[in-house]
Amino acid sequence: MMKTLWNVIRREILIIRKRPVYLLASVGVLFVNTVFYLSFFKDGLPHDLPIGVVDEDCSSTSRTFADQLDATQLGKVIYYDDLHLARADMQSGRIDAFVVLPKGFNADIQANRQPHIGYYVNSLYFVGGALAYKDILTMVNLTNGAVQREVLRAKGVNEREIMNRIQPIVLDQHQIGNPATNYGVYLNGVILPGVLEMIVILITIYAVGSELKYGTSRHLMRTTGGSIEMALLGKLFPYNIIFTLLGIGLELLLFHWLKYPLKGSLWWMCLNVLLLVSASEALGLFIIELFPVLRVAISVGAIISVLAFSLSGFSLPVEAMPSYVQGFSAIFPLRHYYLFHAQETIWGSGFAGWWQEVVHLLLFMFLPAVFMKRLEAAYVKQDYERD
Amino acid sequence: MKGINYFGKWIRDWYDIFVNELKLIFTDAGVLIIFFVGGLLYPVLYNLIYMNGMVDDMPVAVVDNSSGSYSRRYLQKVDATRECEILCYCSSLEEARDLMQRQKVHGIIYIPADFDKCLVRGEQGHISTYADMSSFLYYKCLTMGTSLTMLDEMHEIQTERYTASGLDGQSAYQQVQPVLSDEQIPYNRPFSYTIFFISAALLLVIQQTMFYGGSLLAGTLREQNRSFASMPSNLQGLGVGRVVLGRGAAYLAVYLVTGTLIALLIPRLFNLPQHAFWGDIMLLLVFYIIDCIFFTFTWSSLIWRRETVFVLFLSVSPICMFLTGFSWPTSAIPQFWQWVGYIFPSTFGCKAFINLNTAGCSLTDIAPELHAMTIQTVVYYLLAFISVFVENKVIEHKEKSALQNAL
Repeated sequence: MMKTLWNVIRREILIIRKRPVYLLASVGVLFVNTVFYLSFFKDGLPHDLPIGVVDEDCSSTSRTFADQLDATQLGKVIYYDDLHLARADMQSGRIDAFVVLPKGFNADIQANRQPHIGYYVNSLYFVGGALAYKDILTMVNLTNGAVQREVLRAKGVNEREIMNRIQPIVLDQHQIGNPATNYGVYLNGVILPGVLEMIVILITIYAVGSELKYGTSRHLMRTTGGSIEMALLGKLFPYNIIFTLLGIGLELLLFHWLKYPLKGSLWWMCLNVLLLVSASEALGLFIIELFPVLRVAISVGAIISVLAFSLSGFSLPVEAMPSYVQGFSAIFPLRHYYLFHAQETIWGSGFAGWWQEVVHLLLFMFLPAVFMKRLEAAYVKQDYERD
Repeated sequence: MKGINYFGKWIRDWYDIFVNELKLIFTDAGVLIIFFVGGLLYPVLYNLIYMNGMVDDMPVAVVDNSSGSYSRRYLQKVDATRECEILCYCSSLEEARDLMQRQKVHGIIYIPADFDKCLVRGEQGHISTYADMSSFLYYKCLTMGTSLTMLDEMHEIQTERYTASGLDGQSAYQQVQPVLSDEQIPYNRPFSYTIFFISAALLLVIQQTMFYGGSLLAGTLREQNRSFASMPSNLQGLGVGRVVLGRGAAYLAVYLVTGTLIALLIPRLFNLPQHAFWGDIMLLLVFYIIDCIFFTFTWSSLIWRRETVFVLFLSVSPICMFLTGFSWPTSAIPQFWQWVGYIFPSTFGCKAFINLNTAGCSLTDIAPELHAMTIQTVVYYLLAFISVFVENKVIEHKEKSALQNAL
């Protein structure tokens, strides 16, 4: 029995060596994606967002406002002479927002006439717009504080009392699990496993389906003496090793070398990625068993692995989706990986926090059994169209 | 006379190739699924998934150790915001933390025991917030809900204190807010996910389905040794242009239909903003689709087997999405990746579509993107031309050596 298994494994290794696409599509694709996402989000939080300033006042006060906006970490000021130019640039996304400081800004402040600062934000460019909005909001409030401070100082109020007057409430904000508000930590922690899931699903389908497409499935069945279980076990074994190494390498890269915040244990994260890999493999196998035609199965696998990014709920939370969509999120291994990931990285909750996700991911393992006979028939009869 | 003959033959060849390519497309179930089902399914699915597009009334736990009139008023106001809803009042931070870990709430507001005392004494009161960072939208909700309420409450307390020190209502108001602000957030007032994501994703779907479908077809033909690149041989080595343009016309005909459905019908169906004249959108589509066609022709020359395009290039879709700069700001994209972005038509096409369709720009405003797409089209046309020429030579060479071997 071990000998038959070994024969299938050896046969598969020969296929992998003969066709570079297998290594290219697993190791190569994950490598390119890792390099892309890690370097793409290397800043963590955007800085120096282009924010326009239309200074119609040209006084020392308005210049100070613009200078201080420029000095914030988030903003970088671009001056405009004309409101229409600024509007056109914002509308076409060249700047994320702009501020209008009206004529008589300084004089109105001095005379207590409450001038209006106008600001416009383009929220179609999501992260840039939201951060620029936050930056401008902060600056407007600081300006209010600064003016009050001048008035109170002139009245001889002491500094401590001034702070009590201009900021009676202080908000201390804490970000649990990502203290630096680092977008890289947040996005890479789910996108890269999502890419791994995509790779596993596609390659499983491709490897198993190729036997049908190139008409070699009967040869495979002869090697195992007609046992489909043996054939699949041996066939997927080398990929299992590759995927496992890739998964563990990914977790080590993120949490060990790059020191992404991790409250819990790296061992549990490795367990998580192993479950993700196995569940995705089972899902891929299920798809090719259900549709034993390579091109149909691979299209279905492609649709599922792209949708997984949205339905894992790491960007727009699942509870904000329509109720009839929410249930579907459970059929994506990435969804359970993400929930496990959140429990372990943010809370370090251990088994008590994520055992349900483990059960979910283990349930995927039963999927291949459902239609295995169907694949066996296809392997033996080769009665489906090949292209 | 010779010129007219050549011209007539050119048109006849071009037409034959055009019809042949349409036949190939419409007889291949896989390609049809990707072009029509995939092209229309994705926009519909994304519209369903992102139907609401916002997190409203996010559940928040409160630990109010002060329980005075100030803390109660603050919490009532937080509860009234669109962003937050107070799910429960906890007796300790541990209890609240436990609720957040179990995903019952996604934020905690902690008010220490001396909050009201400090405010009554005229000192500073402190509030702590704790956000669940498993999704940044939770963080955004908690920050917006608590900060905007804090500002409002602050103005109220400041006014009370100025009034107490002897200023009347109007002058107290002037003291508290020496500068007023007018906020304008056009295009997407509530920062809705639906509006920003789908406007950008629509054109990306056009590029990606065309690339996958086109590569599938090219891979199939090469697998079966009947690549379109073997055609020029029948035309005595000429006619590479006819092959590229004839096939291109077939794709254009198909995508003018799906493209119109995606860019004009889908926004109508799902009530997405559409601020542009339909003719302008069509013009943008023509620029974009032609660009995508030669992009597909160029890159699909790397695909030699039918299904390899998916296993190798599926993960390019999310990468293209990030390169368009509509989620992560372009100014924060590393220079190298900005250059890489120039490879893809979507980098310019999606941006032009968001600006034109959703932000209501004029054609003049999107002229830079149209220029860039024109340059891309010319470059990709030449590359597509060269790739067919080279492939043709390779096939010829193979056939010759096969013939020699046979002899």
